[in-house]
Amino acid sequence: MALSLHIAILELKRYLSNRGELAFSVALPIVLFGLTYAVFGGGVSFHATANIVDLDGGPAARELVRRLDALDTITVRERTLESAESALDRSAILAAFVIPEGFSEALESGESVSLTFKRRGNGGEEGQIVAGIVRSVAQEVGRQGRVRRLAMSALEGSGVPPALIDEWTAPLIADSWDNPPVGVDVQYLEGEESNLLYRVVPGILVMFLMFTITLGSQTLVEERRLGTLERLMTTRLTAAQLFLGKFSAHVLRGSVQSLVLLVPAFAVLRVGGLAEFVQIALICVLVAASVSGLAMAITSLVRTRDQASWSAVFITMFMTIFGGTFFDVGDGLLEVLSRFTLNRYAIESMVGILERGQNLGDMGVELGVQAGVGVCAVVLAAALFRTSEGRG
Amino acid sequence: MADTEFLVAHGLRKAFGPFQAVDSVSFTISQREIFGLLGPNGAGKTTVIRMMSTVLKPDDGHISIGGFSVTADSDSVRKLIGVCPQELALYPELSATDNLVFFGRMAGLNGRQARESARENLERVGLQDRARDRVEQFSGGMKRRVNIAIALMSRPQLLFLDEPTVGIDPQSRNHIFETVENLRDEGMTVLYTTHYMEEADRLCDRLAIMDHGSIIGLGTPRELKSEIGNPDRVTLEDVFLEYTGRRLRD
Ligand SMILES: Nc1ncnc2c1ncn2[C@@H]1O[C@H](COP(=O)(O)OP(=O)(O)OP(=O)(O)O)[C@@H](O)[C@H]1O
Ligand SMILES: [Mg+2]
Repeated sequence: MALSLHIAILELKRYLSNRGELAFSVALPIVLFGLTYAVFGGGVSFHATANIVDLDGGPAARELVRRLDALDTITVRERTLESAESALDRSAILAAFVIPEGFSEALESGESVSLTFKRRGNGGEEGQIVAGIVRSVAQEVGRQGRVRRLAMSALEGSGVPPALIDEWTAPLIADSWDNPPVGVDVQYLEGEESNLLYRVVPGILVMFLMFTITLGSQTLVEERRLGTLERLMTTRLTAAQLFLGKFSAHVLRGSVQSLVLLVPAFAVLRVGGLAEFVQIALICVLVAASVSGLAMAITSLVRTRDQASWSAVFITMFMTIFGGTFFDVGDGLLEVLSRFTLNRYAIESMVGILERGQNLGDMGVELGVQAGVGVCAVVLAAALFRTSEGRG
Repeated sequence: MADTEFLVAHGLRKAFGPFQAVDSVSFTISQREIFGLLGPNGAGKTTVIRMMSTVLKPDDGHISIGGFSVTADSDSVRKLIGVCPQELALYPELSATDNLVFFGRMAGLNGRQARESARENLERVGLQDRARDRVEQFSGGMKRRVNIAIALMSRPQLLFLDEPTVGIDPQSRNHIFETVENLRDEGMTVLYTTHYMEEADRLCDRLAIMDHGSIIGLGTPRELKSEIGNPDRVTLEDVFLEYTGRRLRD
């Protein structure tokens, strides 16, 4: 047991002395999370730019632009007609809205008036959504103009000054903007992807854990190349102690690596609370154990660095692609293949906790597979080593 | 005499595929003896050492060390031996001390003993000033000395030195030489292989000359010399060439 501990310490010391591998384990995850944050901005709500050409410039037109810009989901970019048209020509934008000359005056006098929706193709999904939003805001502005005009004409001759009418209606209008009489609450269907991050974060975690296979599968090849393996075989160290030591080192390395990823995921991207954090961390330790076991099995089977690299790359790629690392495996062949990957069980259990609010207790199968693979693989590795090196 | 025989090898054979690397090798090494194993490249010296140090199983034959069978009781044998392999076997990214302490722990020393022993052995090979430096920054001669120091960490009764002086300058070689003489004086038994005949002549109590996997000459340097002429006039090199011929190997 003590000898295993020293093997583990040695393995970690050697790992830590390698700057490149360290940078890979710490710097790369931080860069990846930076990118994820940039892409998802801490959430996945809709956001778009509305390209507006204001040929009118009157009060109603300005009001429309102001209100669009005030929306969280929309950023207004005002353009000249030429710039909008040339951007559309170049496909730099897919949609633009033109407020025609005389827009404000027409509204004032009660005439109907149209905005022009200039689009390339169907205007793109985003363009169509923006069109819907612009339409509803424009109608709201138009309706308020009409209410004001009706009030004016009804009170004509009553001696009420128009300024007073404006004074009465303005707060009512402002209130209907701030507290719309009908709102829409968003409710996600069970199992529906409410937040892409709930899948992306587990995907990144599992990807990094998978690198344990590449790192760990080199270890005996490397010791054989250095001559230290043969030297170790003349000491009291047994095969079981050798494998237990190296296995533990890689489990620890993988777990610490996961923490480096988990902390920003919870602190910055806010994918969950403390309970989720603890449970996901525990799953990571189990996944680290299963991949470390696989790494030990590979390293005891292969004889050269190339064999180790290719085996590790093949297994990692297979499990990443077919294990639904970043997408749902659905049914059919992919689902069947995915059962032969560790990724599937790892991702499933993490997504369960983040998205469906499940607990570790609900994940007997997933967790059992990880632990089982880890233990079986390391025992197999030691046995293979014993027979191939002819030692007990 | 028989009770002082620390190592007994009898009828050792080892083949790699169809190639017979070691064929019917038998010899004994007495306690406190420096036993030289000489032979051209590919003679089978390293293969014999690997079998004796529990790394490789012989196809046939028997080896006992300190009364324990190397194959049946390898755990007991490993407690008695120290091995300095022909190729360097070090962790380059660790310091000299860390390398020694690690192998000390593998030999069953506790932390304090391992550190103490590392300090002693680094001093013995003249590296006490470089103890904390990474081994990868060392010269070839320094690495060789670390390689030997590691073999001493288990405080072995029998030390295998497989070409410990290959590829290093006369100063380093002389230092290693004196180290081995000191070890012998302290009571260690040594199996030494080398291609340098004057080394073998100066150091070894008895010698075996191997070629093509078999032992073709065995005795004290003086006995071997007198077989081909006047022992005061012939050199061990003459003996070696007489036995193994002048044809190039490998
Ligand atoms: N693992 C192996 N597989 C196949 N052949 C081997 C193996 N180990 C050694 N041999 C062969 O056995 C023969 C003896 O090798 P060995 O290393 O024991 O020679 P040696 O006397 O130590 O030579 P040198 O002086 O060059 O170190 C050589 O021909 C070598 O090629
Ligand atoms: Mg050799």
